[in-house]
Amino acid sequence: MLKGLARFKSAVLPGTFISFSLLGFAFLLFFTLYTSQDGNLFSELDSRIYGLLKFTLYQAFLSTILSLLVGVLLAWALAHQSHFRGRSLLVALFSSSLVLPTLIVVFGLIGIFGRSGYLNQISMFLFDISFGSYLYGLGGILLAHVYLNASFASRALLHSFESIPKEKYKLAKSLGFSVWQRFLYVEYPALKSTLLSIGSTIFLLCFTSFAVVLLLGGSPSYNTLEVAIYEAVKLDFDIGMALKLALIQLSISAVLVILSSGFRVDVANLKTGHTLILWKESKVLRGIQWSIIGVFTLFFVLPLLVIVLDGIGADFGRILQEPLFIKSFITSVSLATVSSILTVIIAVLLSNARRNFTLSTRLAHKPLAKLLDGMIAFSGNLYLAIPSLVLGLGFFLMYQNSDGSEFLWSTAALLTANVLMSLPFALSVLTPAMHKTAQRYDKLSFSLGLTTVQRWIYVEYPYLKSSLGYVFALAFCFSLGDLGIIALFGSDDFSTLPWYLYQLMGSYRTTDAAGVAFVLMVLVLSVFIFVPRLFQSNIEKK
Amino acid sequence: MLKIIQYLLLATVMIMATEKPTLTIYTYDAFAASWGPAPKIKEAFEKEHHCNVKFVGLSSSIGALRKIQLEGKRTKADILLGLDTSIAQVAKKTGLFMPHELNTTKLDLPVPYTDDTFTPFDYSFFAFVYDENKLKNVPTSFEALIKMPKDFKIVIQDPRSSTAGLGLLLWVKSVYGDKAGEYWKRLAPHILTITKGWSEAYGLFLKGEADMVLSYTTSPAYHIVEESKSNIKVADFKEGHYGQVEVAAVLKSSKHQDLAKQFLAFMHTKTFADIIPTANWAYPVVKGVKLHEAFDSLHRPKQMILMDGLTVEAQRKAIVDEWLEAIAK
Repeated sequence: MLKGLARFKSAVLPGTFISFSLLGFAFLLFFTLYTSQDGNLFSELDSRIYGLLKFTLYQAFLSTILSLLVGVLLAWALAHQSHFRGRSLLVALFSSSLVLPTLIVVFGLIGIFGRSGYLNQISMFLFDISFGSYLYGLGGILLAHVYLNASFASRALLHSFESIPKEKYKLAKSLGFSVWQRFLYVEYPALKSTLLSIGSTIFLLCFTSFAVVLLLGGSPSYNTLEVAIYEAVKLDFDIGMALKLALIQLSISAVLVILSSGFRVDVANLKTGHTLILWKESKVLRGIQWSIIGVFTLFFVLPLLVIVLDGIGADFGRILQEPLFIKSFITSVSLATVSSILTVIIAVLLSNARRNFTLSTRLAHKPLAKLLDGMIAFSGNLYLAIPSLVLGLGFFLMYQNSDGSEFLWSTAALLTANVLMSLPFALSVLTPAMHKTAQRYDKLSFSLGLTTVQRWIYVEYPYLKSSLGYVFALAFCFSLGDLGIIALFGSDDFSTLPWYLYQLMGSYRTTDAAGVAFVLMVLVLSVFIFVPRLFQSNIEKK
Repeated sequence: MLKIIQYLLLATVMIMATEKPTLTIYTYDAFAASWGPAPKIKEAFEKEHHCNVKFVGLSSSIGALRKIQLEGKRTKADILLGLDTSIAQVAKKTGLFMPHELNTTKLDLPVPYTDDTFTPFDYSFFAFVYDENKLKNVPTSFEALIKMPKDFKIVIQDPRSSTAGLGLLLWVKSVYGDKAGEYWKRLAPHILTITKGWSEAYGLFLKGEADMVLSYTTSPAYHIVEESKSNIKVADFKEGHYGQVEVAAVLKSSKHQDLAKQFLAFMHTKTFADIIPTANWAYPVVKGVKLHEAFDSLHRPKQMILMDGLTVEAQRKAIVDEWLEAIAK
């Protein structure tokens, strides 16, 4: 153990330390809540809560399966049609739906699929039939969740598809594999780890969904646990109850994270060179792939187009000069910059530590390896484990118990929340990638006796570059689109763009709100399109 | 050198600022917004009383109350402004607020209001709002509402997260009493969806998703004044309309109690009353104020239904449960 540890010390220690700090923070949060409640922690839970819990789990399960299905189909089609104009723009567009303020995206969806959305209008015009309010109900919840998550899943899965060595495709071809066999033996093994980590992230995201579920659910039978948490914190001010509900969510996410991290990747999947595939897909297959790309492009892009159409009519000359807009813009952008840098650093350190415990060539066989692996994975998913309302409440209580200035505490709270929020996504992109570079290059690097720095320069960075750029862009936009836990109890010294937007919506100013949504979308899209370009790896350029 | 001058300047500004007392008022964000009533009220009160007024806008008025509760004795708030009478009782129970010692009997309110701690500053009525160009057959009562065609849809707010949603719940309860659950069961097919807050519901309505939305009788005034649109109308219900009276109170922990009480009194002056209608889209509580002409065209219910705050507080859970039971599919 010691000998092994010494060798991987520089990889294990920083990440483990961060992981411990995150868990310590979570513990402190719950402890603060525990000391602030009046001690009815052990009272009975309402039977209504069980109903909510049951539906929440059911809904999250369905949403996850559907999101992954759509994600795999789309990534599969895109992976096999790798050369067409606008492909990278398309991939960027897909990612943006996840990071825009949820409510804006959902209003975009309603613009297409709603009762008076374009779909109904067109069918009214052509066939004189309206599908009515089909969107509202479980179907609507699932549609929105697939929309929000499948695009992200497809981006991450596309990366896994692209990392499959071309030699394998050659082999499959020479063995005469059918498409299904090719998927099963060549592609699926490469996707497995991404599917699991993304699946659990999506599950937790859908599990904690609140505004969307209420908006599209249409009936209290389709409520989630978050509604109960909101009720407990805001309406009843029952911190004990909030704590109890938060603990339920914590346990469920802990189980999920442990289940998904118990999985090992066995096949070395990493793009090695640039063996070009010389044959084209069969005509039928190409047709299928193109239809998939076409249909899903429409599905993902049209709602964004609605946001543009709604926003374009706004009076930008006035909006852009509003002092509050400028203030919110500056706050949002500077917070996003700092938190995205922090996210990238922490995500790299956590993934770097974690791969030691998952690789059999490293420390996987050591005692405690499994435990530490699960612990790091869990600490990276804290945001999904702790309801954001409870996170905000906990922060506020901690601030009350301390003597720090409100400004410092608010900044710290916002940054922490933003980093915690982006980490699950950052990790689900980086962990599989770093696992693979280690699997592939460990022997070589160790035999060459590379130092940590050398290893990063020559081995890791060239391969992780594009992932790092993507993680940075993702974290940046997440922070940009976040309503901020501070809005719950915080002061208005911290106005962010989404908060400004909600404020506009809350006082009849829908046109201005649409304008701000448009600005936010342009901002998010430009970050998504240009930042990853800066990080594009040399290998990809060739 | 420049730095030192900067610091000196900053220090002077700070000293100048601390010369006058600062009155801190916690409220909901739309009230504190730059287009809301706060900036004008701040200016007027500062001029009259030689002080600073700081409005702190929270995500909701309940949120502001919870913030004060969490901050306890250390809170910087002198006044909490913006709760409505249905929730004010909850705030009163915390014991954090002090009597206002004002005579509120002469105020212009459709209902007698006698609370000794929270004092009103504006009011409106809950109502269903529709677009005249789209809806021709307008329901004029709760009974007519459930008899509307099958594809007629309304959008409402969740009473567990929105004061408007709670308002509708109490409205139906006041009209139907023990039969409220039954009524909700019959209304359920017409409910397109239930949103977290007023903004989402109103947004859905403006997008054309629902035929009517639960909002206020004063909502059309915004569209007339700010957008010159007169097609947004209110459905006049013959059972009467439930009211929302917004109130404010001074905190016991306030270091500027006299000034804070002066502010409460200021809420009942003509200056304040003139600002409210076209900034907070509600009726002022002072008699003899000339309202913006847009308000002339509004339907102003003669009678306001309002449940007593204590009753609401005692029955809220039961009423919400009854509602959940009735409309769950």
